Amino acid sequence: MSNTTRMVALGGVMLVGAGCGGGGADLDDHSIKVGAIFDLTGPTADVGTDYGDGVRGFADWVNSRGGIEGRPIDLIYQDYGYQVDRAEQLYTQFVGEGAVIFMGWGTGDTEALRLRIAEDEIPFSSASLSHRLGDPAEAPYNFLLATTYSDQFRIALQWIAENHGGGTPIVALMHNASPFGLSPARQGGVEFAEARGIDLTLYEMPRGAVDFTAEFARIRQSGAQYVVFQNTSGPAAVALTNARSLGLDVTFFCLNWCSNAQVIQLAGDAAEGLMGTMPYAPLSVDVPGTRVIREYLESKGESVEGKTNAYTQGWWTFAAFAEGMRRVLAAGGELTGASIKAALETFADYDLGGVTAPVTFTPTDHRGSKGLRIFRVEEGTWAPFTDFVEAPGW
Amino acid sequence: MSLDCGVFHTRYEADMGLRPRPLQRLRLGILALFVLVFPFVASPYWLDLANQVAIATVGAIGLNILVGYTGQISLGQGAFMAIGAYTAGLLTLNFGVPWGASVFAACLVTAAAGTFFGLPSLRLKGLYLAIATLAAQEIVEWGMTNWTAVTGGTEAIVLPAPVLFGVRMNTNFNFYWLAVLTAAGTALFAANLMRSRIGRAFEAVRDQDIAASVIGVDVFRTKLLAFATSSFFVGLAGAMIAFHRNIITWERFTLSTSIVFLAMIIVGGLGSIRGSFLGAALITLLPAMITNVGRAIQDTAPQAASLLPYAQQAVFGIVIILFLIFEPRGLSKLWENAKDYFHVWPFAYRRGESRAG
Repeated sequence: MSNTTRMVALGGVMLVGAGCGGGGADLDDHSIKVGAIFDLTGPTADVGTDYGDGVRGFADWVNSRGGIEGRPIDLIYQDYGYQVDRAEQLYTQFVGEGAVIFMGWGTGDTEALRLRIAEDEIPFSSASLSHRLGDPAEAPYNFLLATTYSDQFRIALQWIAENHGGGTPIVALMHNASPFGLSPARQGGVEFAEARGIDLTLYEMPRGAVDFTAEFARIRQSGAQYVVFQNTSGPAAVALTNARSLGLDVTFFCLNWCSNAQVIQLAGDAAEGLMGTMPYAPLSVDVPGTRVIREYLESKGESVEGKTNAYTQGWWTFAAFAEGMRRVLAAGGELTGASIKAALETFADYDLGGVTAPVTFTPTDHRGSKGLRIFRVEEGTWAPFTDFVEAPGW
Repeated sequence: MSLDCGVFHTRYEADMGLRPRPLQRLRLGILALFVLVFPFVASPYWLDLANQVAIATVGAIGLNILVGYTGQISLGQGAFMAIGAYTAGLLTLNFGVPWGASVFAACLVTAAAGTFFGLPSLRLKGLYLAIATLAAQEIVEWGMTNWTAVTGGTEAIVLPAPVLFGVRMNTNFNFYWLAVLTAAGTALFAANLMRSRIGRAFEAVRDQDIAASVIGVDVFRTKLLAFATSSFFVGLAGAMIAFHRNIITWERFTLSTSIVFLAMIIVGGLGSIRGSFLGAALITLLPAMITNVGRAIQDTAPQAASLLPYAQQAVFGIVIILFLIFEPRGLSKLWENAKDYFHVWPFAYRRGESRAG
């Protein structure tokens, strides 16, 4: 190939890419545009894929039933690989194309977009459950559809305090090295532990680590009886297997992102007895909210077993926003960020099919649900261990 | 500057010009016109991309001064950008320093940090230096996330919006002018720097450091100067990111940022200002283009579209490999080739033909 041909070929590729910049096919204004970013290839892809499938599944399900008040959902989504820059690009692109709400994902990108969301007035749900994102004073257009990490952590700590035999309960929080990892402790966890007389120590799980022997050596030395994970299922499973082979005798807790089927799949026997603060029920739990998903998946010929509770979470997070939009349309209103926000703030004990505690939003509180069920791994599946528990204050 | 065949200068000023020929000026004029008109016709999405490209250009030129011109490999780009971003942000947030002044201070602080982390270059070369700068990256990353009292740890830092003459500068449209001016200024400075004694010393150190010291270049001092100059602009890029987004998160400045910037200058062209821009543009726009292709074929070929996110990672690598094989001097050289081709068009010299004839 001559130099010129190469150059022309390269230029051609660039032009093709640029030419498509305007976006996909033409869609009538009748449809409701919803922007979404999923992590299908990045570090949180292990749970991000199911979450994204859940969001897409719900859109498909609603559209097959005639849409929201007769208007179909046009879900525009892309993978962003957990990169802040990509999230910003896609957010700008989708909002520019008329997305009225946005389904976000990680803590890093949600934090980075927080100011722009407020400015653009785009109701935003993220799968990041950082406490601060539920405070309208700081993030007026962010809505949390599940118990925040710090609420989950305090629920776990409360359970420990109530069920610990004698002496001081010693708890180790093993967390992902990120804002996501630290948020349970930072936002009330430490204070709560102090108030309840729990000895709490934080241990960072370095990114990409495949061995936590050193951390467990320190944990063993501290005499901890409980280890709580704030990480995704991959690293948590590694740690569980590690602990098993070291013969560590402690009770393990998983917060949101490792209380799922993957952790059992990856850790096998080592996951037995693992407790999980799981805001969203897995599909194996029989409630109306999981039944509708099972029926949908079966009608599509997809396996139900392969889906984790991240699928439920994606589905029902979107469903709650869809309900907000339905209320706007049912009242004859115009779908704008402000009107959807106002409609969401009318949610009072709104039931998401029993998959999570009922959701309440007010203009001063965007933390939708404050309770959850604690689950426990029994014979290789997550089984409900307690009823819905309200998160204690601090 | 090389002497061009058929171009005669009658004045020293003309000889010294960066763009002495009419055609070059015409091209520059067209580019300037495009840059001026662009923000008025572009959608917010394209403006946002343009701003990212402009910031990346500043950072890539900075890195190119060190890697392309002086031959000192650095994996610490993300760290230096972080130092720039955090310095600018924290000065404005905690001490109320006007944002313009804190951006400048950030450049100086990053230059100082760059010089410090450049010290190992006295004894280390090539791969060993790369590892030393990798250490810098790790140290700064650790500092960002753990020095909670200063950086706020892993929490994002929210900054006040930059205001100039009562106008908010961080909207995409307003920031565009700042970003373009900064990028153009950086390019002009770097282009002139490379024609100065210092710039020549940089290149001499890159090409053969022993020979350079024989002809009187203080090699260590020159290397440190390259680290300082480079870091100055890298810090500038970091500070620009901070004020563009008004929010600083450490996740933007990880090792992968360093790698992405190295990819930019490799694809664009090592030791080329134009290449820094072209590389920054390509690497920034490539994922966006792949996304757009994915969305365009989502309806017609959903299977292919669902695979595209995974292909994206591969495409990134493939582009770099292809450039290393077919055109190690990058996009910049491709552009030169195109110019050369049209320069003599339609009487192109074709390899092999003269022999056959």
